[in-house]
Amino acid sequence: MLAEVGTIVVGLALAVALYAACAAFWGIRRADSCWALSARNGVHTTTGLLGLALLALLVAFLGDQFQIQYVAQHSSIALPLYLKVSSVWAGQEGSLLLWSFLQALFTSLVVARPSDRTRSLVPWATVFLCLVTAFFTAVTLFLSSPFFQLGMMPPDGQGLNPLLRHPGMIFHPPALYLGYVGLSVPFAFALAALVTRQVRGWPGAVRRWTLAAWLFLGLGLLLGARWAYDVLGWGGYWGWDPVENAGLLPWFTVTALLHSAVMQERRGGFRVWNLLLAVFSFTLVLFGTFTTRSGLIQSVHAFARSNLGPYFLTAIVLTLAGSLALVYSRRSILVNSRPVEGLFSRDGMFFLALILFLTLTVSVLIGSVLPTITEALTGQRYEAGPDWFDRVTGPQFAALVLVIGVCPLLGSTASAMRRLRSRGLPGLLGAALLTAGAALAGFTQWVSLVGFAIIGLAGATTLAEYVRDVAARSRGPAGENPLRALWSLFGRNRRKYGGYLVHTGVILMALGIVGTRMYALETELVLSSGKPVPVADYTLVFEELGGEPADDHLSTWASLAVYRNGDYLTRLEPRMDQYVGFDQTVALPALHSSLREDLYLVLAGWSENGAIATFKVFVNPLASFLWFGGLVFLVGGAVAVWPSAREERVPAPQARRRMLGTNVGLVVGLLVVVAAGVAMWGWGAGFGIEARSAGRPLTGQPAPDFTLDLLDGSTLALADLRGQVVVINFWATWCPPCEDEMPDLQVSWSEYQAEGVVFVGIAFDDEEAAVQKMISRFGLTYPMALDVGGNISAAYGITGVPETFVVDAQGNVAHVHIGPVSVQELRDELESLLEE
Amino acid sequence: MTGRTKFVFAGLLIAAAVTYLIVSSTGSTAHYFLTIEELRAMGDDAYGRNITVSGAVLGDTIAYDSSSPRVTFTVVQVPGDPEEVERGGGLAAVLHAAVNDLGAPRLEVVYNDVKPDLLQHEAQAIIRGQLGEDGRFYADEVLLKCPTRYEEDVPGQSGGA
Repeated sequence: MLAEVGTIVVGLALAVALYAACAAFWGIRRADSCWALSARNGVHTTTGLLGLALLALLVAFLGDQFQIQYVAQHSSIALPLYLKVSSVWAGQEGSLLLWSFLQALFTSLVVARPSDRTRSLVPWATVFLCLVTAFFTAVTLFLSSPFFQLGMMPPDGQGLNPLLRHPGMIFHPPALYLGYVGLSVPFAFALAALVTRQVRGWPGAVRRWTLAAWLFLGLGLLLGARWAYDVLGWGGYWGWDPVENAGLLPWFTVTALLHSAVMQERRGGFRVWNLLLAVFSFTLVLFGTFTTRSGLIQSVHAFARSNLGPYFLTAIVLTLAGSLALVYSRRSILVNSRPVEGLFSRDGMFFLALILFLTLTVSVLIGSVLPTITEALTGQRYEAGPDWFDRVTGPQFAALVLVIGVCPLLGSTASAMRRLRSRGLPGLLGAALLTAGAALAGFTQWVSLVGFAIIGLAGATTLAEYVRDVAARSRGPAGENPLRALWSLFGRNRRKYGGYLVHTGVILMALGIVGTRMYALETELVLSSGKPVPVADYTLVFEELGGEPADDHLSTWASLAVYRNGDYLTRLEPRMDQYVGFDQTVALPALHSSLREDLYLVLAGWSENGAIATFKVFVNPLASFLWFGGLVFLVGGAVAVWPSAREERVPAPQARRRMLGTNVGLVVGLLVVVAAGVAMWGWGAGFGIEARSAGRPLTGQPAPDFTLDLLDGSTLALADLRGQVVVINFWATWCPPCEDEMPDLQVSWSEYQAEGVVFVGIAFDDEEAAVQKMISRFGLTYPMALDVGGNISAAYGITGVPETFVVDAQGNVAHVHIGPVSVQELRDELESLLEE
Repeated sequence: MTGRTKFVFAGLLIAAAVTYLIVSSTGSTAHYFLTIEELRAMGDDAYGRNITVSGAVLGDTIAYDSSSPRVTFTVVQVPGDPEEVERGGGLAAVLHAAVNDLGAPRLEVVYNDVKPDLLQHEAQAIIRGQLGEDGRFYADEVLLKCPTRYEEDVPGQSGGA
């Protein structure tokens, strides 16, 4: 039933979208506002119908309608509710439906509220946007329908791919799609501007649309990177995979478009640039979809080769050829006669930034299809790995950060050199300080030092810009205090200061990228329970394995105590989930983040008895800067998108209504961004991290001192036992494994008592009567006490019972046993200690 | 030099630098992308070069020693050309045919790392590394793709297995 409704509704949506395109076109030809109105209604109807189809699919997922193939392949009864929702876009068919809906929604928003500046372009833009909507709807309907029925009802679905079971997966795909879809708006307006020969003002008119698309694309990329870091367990966040590149390419061109749009608004130039960048951004979206689904590129997490390739290729060729022909036919009105400023001016820097974004786009594009290109050229397929991309794009990114750093130093005119001299000092200082600081902190590869110098320069000049403007305001007639001055700066010129904030985010991210790409440490460790092993500045102590069956998978985790420079830091629990139905394991890393670096642990395997486990250990320097920079970047983008009262020049009552609508939309958008941020960062930070007050003393460290009132009435102080070997056993009467080891302890005690070894049993969280009963049951004769208040257990950082510490004659911890200990183990350890 | 020529000059300079980067990186860090057949055809030439090879994983051959850690497994020739894969009935069918083809060229892979999550029978492995003198392929990186997991339209897959 749902499936039929869905299919019919999508079919209707396609028909209405095509109708709306025709009506809009006819309205333009006849200059008839009735047709234009009808087109607008058609657009809204399309949105409504596709929304209904999406709702039908959602209901099918929530109601476990497994007779629908797409539902059966991506959901199961046991799946939690939020994952059933995100399963709607877990595969190609559902994503295309979501894409179509968002495309229609954006078209609706564009036609619903034309501003004065866009009004004359909206009719043609409607035509193009409706055609784009129709294309995606047609693909959904005819080639990749999520409503295909199996003809029978499987008892349960196959479930969602375990790798996609992460809160980030709720936000990551829709954010990317919003970005992709948003890029169709500048594209449609660029074409409309060309058709109507109004090429002057369009980039400014759709600026906020372009910004919104850019912001969502950036959010999608960041969330994807964070998801990879949190879930995939390879210690990295960006692997230059074709699917990642598919999102990055249009982001490059739309970032370039934002910059060249500023140039067109300010100086009237860069017209061809703007048009081409809008066209390329949209084409790259199609290209990304095409390459990742056509099998042209071998990718790990590309969607499987499907039948969509030829259709997307046709769409790409048509879009490119049509747009370029249109640009060529309008070349006479695209010439810019204004003189250009010198290269060492802000204009020049904008130009260099554009060139760099373009070369980056071309580089990544070439890298993505390198096997195909080299095969055509040389007959030999070469493949570009992450090294290739890092080498090729690294210098270009560095040059971009340099441009960010130099730009504020230059004026808008050619008299720049003078300004450079007066403003260059903070920049040079910043470069020198950061480079020196980095070198002192151990980052000494010369390539990275060049990077740090550039980052320091850019950071300092950007900061100096804020400081100068804030100082000007607080010294000015208003005499505002600096904080208030900063706030009103952001209020008055959101665009400029939002932009600076974005640059600040980029600079911080650059710091993280240099650290993680050039200094990451990766190693595999095989750890035995209780034996400390050093890695970099850390010491890891594997404690024990734990396990827990869930609905459709078995979770196994390892708990590790982490020490830095000998001090207890935290406890980490990397996990491995084994999915029965999928015959797949997912290793969920645990990480500890600090300003300097991330410690990232992955559980890779374990021995039968759980006493030995294998881990992959990554130390990622400066990784926090990457994520924090990403957050700053998003906030800056949001500030820039936010409309300021000055920009809306409409009559008061209308303005109020419009502002209300805009603000509601933006608040919702911001909430999504914040929720996504919390889901990703909050989740990542919470992974397996459990803060305890203290850790166990490491072997070699002094055993924490204590004085005990023994059950026989005497007292025992550890400090008095220097020169003697001491075995301290934490146990409890309610703990079965403790019962198992009691006889072993008693045997060892009777063996070594004569040699001066002291045994002491400390009962944790226990009653004296129960302890006495146990002593008589096992005939224990070694000293026994209760840990009243649990202070000693806390000082020794025990995480369970039994645990046994062997302390040498100097009072230092020699051996730690987490879990039961055997006579043989104690014998080996005590013999060697007594020999010393 | 006028303003405009300066701009053009700067643009060309950057383009030239990037072209140099691309060409030099392709020479130094790019990998030969080969099928197992092509790798065998290279003979002694293949030793020590950076090579990416793809093949279908034989589930029975996967051996994992978690204490080293080290995984060894054998992959079977699959065609590299997407057209040919398509003619063979799609990736899943090609992989399935490959692992059942006793005559197809095989390659033993040694990977000194933790066993990847997706390493399983009939997965497509894309392996970056070098061919050793002993004829085994020493992997630096193993990427895996399981068509049954990612490809939605493999009708009969569950029924046929």
